[in-house]
Amino acid sequence: MPSPPSRTACVDCDLLVRIDGLAGGERATCPRCGSVLTARTEDGWTKSLAFALAAAMLLLAANLFPFLSLQASGLEQVMTLPGSAVELYRGGYTTIAVLVMGPIVGIPALIVATATALLIPLRRGRATPWLVPAGKLLSFLGPWSMVEVFVIGVLVSLVKIGAMATVVMGISFWAYVAFAICFTLMITSLDRVQLWRDIEACVA
Amino acid sequence: MSAHAGAHATAYPEGTAAAAGLACCHVCRKLAPATLHECPLCGSALHLRKADSIQRTVALVITASLLYIPANVLPIMTTNQLGRPEDSTILGGVVLLIHHGSYPIAAVIFIASVLVPLGKLFAISWLAWTVARGHTTSRQQRTRMYRVTELVGKWSMTDVFVVAILVALIQLGGLLSIQAGAAAIAFGGVVIVTMLAAESFDSRLIWDRLADDAEDAREDVREEAGEDAGAEEEYR
Repeated sequence: MPSPPSRTACVDCDLLVRIDGLAGGERATCPRCGSVLTARTEDGWTKSLAFALAAAMLLLAANLFPFLSLQASGLEQVMTLPGSAVELYRGGYTTIAVLVMGPIVGIPALIVATATALLIPLRRGRATPWLVPAGKLLSFLGPWSMVEVFVIGVLVSLVKIGAMATVVMGISFWAYVAFAICFTLMITSLDRVQLWRDIEACVA
Repeated sequence: MSAHAGAHATAYPEGTAAAAGLACCHVCRKLAPATLHECPLCGSALHLRKADSIQRTVALVITASLLYIPANVLPIMTTNQLGRPEDSTILGGVVLLIHHGSYPIAAVIFIASVLVPLGKLFAISWLAWTVARGHTTSRQQRTRMYRVTELVGKWSMTDVFVVAILVALIQLGGLLSIQAGAAAIAFGGVVIVTMLAAESFDSRLIWDRLADDAEDAREDVREEAGEDAGAEEEYR
């Protein structure tokens, strides 16, 4: 088994920095450019896994119940997340449907599933054949989730529609807000250097 | 930029991974000898610096700037209220919100759809220009600027999400319905292409050009780097 790497290179300026003296909960920043290099986890991914599982359940709930409903002149219309994808597709907006549902549901769901599949064996130090591909998928998908942006988008549209009709927020809306919080906490707790250091220790 | 490819042993500033002949894997962050072409841990292609960083960044910035024109000229959505269709552009929507007195929402849309994408395009262009010109000043500020640019990029997607929600939710037939316009797709394209432009820019290039007074110091460092190179022999 190789010893854990004692140094890393700053992603932003390429300076070699020693990181072996890092205790749990501490983080290292680059002395030259100030970027955060890595933050050492304290609990062996327990917290990250908890957020991932909570996020998975909340995202499921966000897709099952009414998201928003609209009342105007005696007419009522209920919108669910999968329903709105279908609505956009039927209206001929396939590109917009993909452009929106991808970053807010598809990619986050894939990220949560990948993180779960990665963290369960990693916590037990068990080498499973999918550790490296899962780690790569996670690094690749990371920048393309726009969960928190969508929450702001919903709030903006509530105000915009408020001028024309009455909008009621459904259970799924609140589930999605809670999902966005858990998802963001999970992502911030998955330090890339630490994650790969553990993957390396498992597969070696 | 191609000058970097050949003579990497001597072209990089002291203390960097590249000067020690090590490449940091862009996927798993493993340090590995640059002579390997694949990361020994995750198998991704290894580079000392991102390939053709400046050329790719400039090409993507030009693409995004071109897409930004239809995104602002074409309507982003059409509102059909009682049979009267009304087009609105991104800026038109902001003006309408100001007329209605929704200043905070107008500010959110203006920042997300105008300030962030334009600021991002200017910031990346300027960073690419300073790197191409070999500027050696304010490196820390430029690196911080790059980091902020990377971070705020996806927030421009707000308006596209708003249009999608309005279209999906408001379909009350002849009474009130909303159609999405071509600008929504063009603007989504702007967001994706600027994110790719930021990703293809290599901020380490900001630090690569040596200041003239560092020339002498490099000699000593190369001796230290020699020790490192010895240690890395074990990998091979």
